[in-house]
Amino acid sequence: MSTRICTALLGLFLFAGTQAADRAPEPGPPRPLTIPTPAKIALQNGVQATFIDFGSVPKVTIAITVRVGAINDGERTWLSDLTAELMKEGTQQRTAEQIAEAAAEMGGQVAIGVGADQTTLSLDVLSEYGAEAVALLAEILTRPRLPESELPRVRQNFLRNLSVALATPQAQADAAFAALLFPNHPYGRVFPTPELLQSYSIDDVRRFYEDNFGAQRTHVYVAGKFDRASIESAIKRHLGGWRDGPAPLRLPSPEPAEPTTVLIDRRDAPQSTLRIGLRVIDPSHEEFMPLSVTNTLLGGVLTSRITMNLREDKGWAYSPNSSVSAYYRHAVWAERADVKSEVTGPALREIYREIDRLQSEPPTDDELKSAKNYRNGTFVISNATRGGLIGQFAFMDLHGLPTEWLTTFIDRLYAVTPAQVSQAAREHLDPARMSVVVVGDLAQIRKQLEEFEQLPKIQAQP
Amino acid sequence: MNSIRNWICIVAAAMLGACAAPTSVEAPSAAAPTASTTPAALNIPVEYYRLRNGLRVVLSEDRSVPVATIGVYYNIGFRIEPKDRTGFAHLFEHLMFQGSKNLPKGEFFKTVQGLGGQLNGSTRFDFTNYYEAFPSNALETMLWAEADRMRSLEITQENLVNQQGVVKEEVKVNVLNRPYGGFPWLQLPQVANVNWYNAHNFYGDLEDIDAATLDEARAFFEAYYPPNNAVLVVAGDFDRDQTKRWIEQYFGSIPARPVPPLPDISEPKQTAEKRVTQKDPLAPRPALALAYHVPPRWTPEHFAFGLIDEILLQGEASRLHRDLVQRRGYTDQVFGGINLLGNMFNYNGPMLWAAALLHDPATSRDDILAAIDENIERIRTEPVTQEELDRARRKIRAELYDLVGSSTKLGLVDLLACFALFDDDPARINRIEEEFAKVTPELIQRTAQEYLRRENRTVLFLEPGTGAASGANAP
Repeated sequence: MSTRICTALLGLFLFAGTQAADRAPEPGPPRPLTIPTPAKIALQNGVQATFIDFGSVPKVTIAITVRVGAINDGERTWLSDLTAELMKEGTQQRTAEQIAEAAAEMGGQVAIGVGADQTTLSLDVLSEYGAEAVALLAEILTRPRLPESELPRVRQNFLRNLSVALATPQAQADAAFAALLFPNHPYGRVFPTPELLQSYSIDDVRRFYEDNFGAQRTHVYVAGKFDRASIESAIKRHLGGWRDGPAPLRLPSPEPAEPTTVLIDRRDAPQSTLRIGLRVIDPSHEEFMPLSVTNTLLGGVLTSRITMNLREDKGWAYSPNSSVSAYYRHAVWAERADVKSEVTGPALREIYREIDRLQSEPPTDDELKSAKNYRNGTFVISNATRGGLIGQFAFMDLHGLPTEWLTTFIDRLYAVTPAQVSQAAREHLDPARMSVVVVGDLAQIRKQLEEFEQLPKIQAQP
Repeated sequence: MNSIRNWICIVAAAMLGACAAPTSVEAPSAAAPTASTTPAALNIPVEYYRLRNGLRVVLSEDRSVPVATIGVYYNIGFRIEPKDRTGFAHLFEHLMFQGSKNLPKGEFFKTVQGLGGQLNGSTRFDFTNYYEAFPSNALETMLWAEADRMRSLEITQENLVNQQGVVKEEVKVNVLNRPYGGFPWLQLPQVANVNWYNAHNFYGDLEDIDAATLDEARAFFEAYYPPNNAVLVVAGDFDRDQTKRWIEQYFGSIPARPVPPLPDISEPKQTAEKRVTQKDPLAPRPALALAYHVPPRWTPEHFAFGLIDEILLQGEASRLHRDLVQRRGYTDQVFGGINLLGNMFNYNGPMLWAAALLHDPATSRDDILAAIDENIERIRTEPVTQEELDRARRKIRAELYDLVGSSTKLGLVDLLACFALFDDDPARINRIEEEFAKVTPELIQRTAQEYLRRENRTVLFLEPGTGAASGANAP
């Protein structure tokens, strides 16, 4: 806004108390974020590497993604997690303690995480240790000892964490929800039984490692300030001679999910934990952007319709929210909320009402613009960090998205029209195709649920 | 809008804290990477001044990415909320989003998010904060919006009732309907402290939350939210002269008001170990936590204690992790730190250092305590090695870089605000590393001798319920 108007506002404020309502000053012209163009190399055995020169603080993040995750578990849920955890328990050269010490010497700590499609090893260090960090992660990745001596302890930790998860309503709901959306598929198997976890032997773990880990599934990301030559040579030296291993696993598409309601009893629970949603198009689909903006507007941000309704209007929930989560060639849209038990049925009704309303009434230009601006801000803020940039490029690599996906992101975002939003809601968020999970005090809420005519058929509990 | 619990790092509270945002970091300020030379000291730009109405202003410029962040910190934490109104400071934090003269209910959210901003607030021991991180072209609007609610809170009975509902659901989702909901962050201060101000349920009893009135909210605003009881921090991408003009324009005419004197929040010296057992009916496994009162903030002993925390507790190279997790297999992590609701700098009064873990029923509490005590005794009786000390300091340097390197700079804004609010000296952020550098192995040992005494600690045993009652079956 211009200086002249600023001065006028100043004048008004000097007589505070009597001024008429002031309007928010308009934002200035945006300063675009320059996303660095990454450099890429590929080794002969299939290892790929992406270098992202970013920022000016003397730190560098190394993240190695391997296309091994829950998808490779088959029916042996958490075998991938157990394998990843044991990889940290020592290499041919170092004990677990020595690994932890070496990472701490560089100012960081090794993290290994397992998702639906990928295992990620990462280490964030002071820049001068970049090449050493690559060497340490590569050693863990290619020469883990997978020691039998540590299996009972690690398994015991997994059993304890499993028991905690199964006592937590959100985790219970997520597991039941995934099972509904991905029947007979590893994506649908969130938790093992304790017996299954008990049954894994060290040979199972070692075989899983041998069968799944290898160069063709591996991608190294380097982001921050770093000496490119020394890091590249460390990658070649420590990963260039590794076995090719298998290509990423492709599973046949999971069966269609029948719209179903699952009720899980949690006696005396003061809240009901809700999951409502369905499988949707994945990020490689050209309509993913309109769908993603539709999600923002419907439940993806505090000012979204469902959140404003349940929270700011009704006061029934603290942080209801919706999201689109991506798996390889699949995605899930879900609304998640923990609502006051007394209003479980009415809250479900309001959520369905908002979805229905969006299908028939396109958003106003202002509402849509607001959602787009929010997404633009999130894009700028998250791509202005080392971790955010790695996440962005790794996401594109996993889903096979071209460079233009990123460079045209903002243009595609702002091109979404109100009609496209309603269309996306109609085509991809059809309430009649959604499944529902409720974890709550069934004695108190069952009647409310039965009164809600749009609820999918209730699955009998085993 | 939000809360206390967003800020709790259940997984290892880092020294400089800030439960780091899921994505990390990057940007400017410090030295270029060099191999093996002594790294340049961190030099964060800090400009500090006061408006005539007493509002303290801190500016920290960094134009490397087009993102700016503002934080408004009020010198009112849950510690000193009204005695018959537990949880009031936090409830009031919610009310600050419910309407001001030019931003009726809902409009604050819409203004910030509609310009691409992320926003939140939180309530801690000694402050309540509000912040926005946004594409930098929206700075003027954000300043205007924060000034509008500092000047003119306008809330209705309907909005109060609405947020009482929201806050009660928040307490349920974060504490009452989950296992280990208050463990140990909410429980420890209540058992380890004796002064009510440090020892009450600061999330609030549901009855107290319900009992709050509109008049009380207005009086609370009058008392604790004047400009002379606040700090405004602007960090990131902005033009300094222009920003100062905007700050004067929007905040300069908000009148100063007298602020109530602080009550006595001191904690008497503890003279005997306390052991407390509590039951969590939703928890499937037992747990235990220890709390020790820590040395006064920003003293040599406080920095020594910061290093003790690093060496004993932080990360997989720490002594307690190596011993209890790696060697003995008692648990998968020992977590904690100084100030479970923040870090070792962002508070202003008595504080606890805590360490906590979950374990199996087959592992006896006595064995676990004995193992912890062995490690505590060792740090009290043997000097730490130079190697450990170097490692701890290197980690602190890495964390300091991330403070400035983060795109949202929330951790930086937090420290600058607290050093202005509590110490009238935000520039001391650039002296943190040098204060840690002064700590010797002898000082660490002396500090451990004095503060890691049994008489200075509380042990909390958490007994599990009936395997999380009904919900324990796999779906």
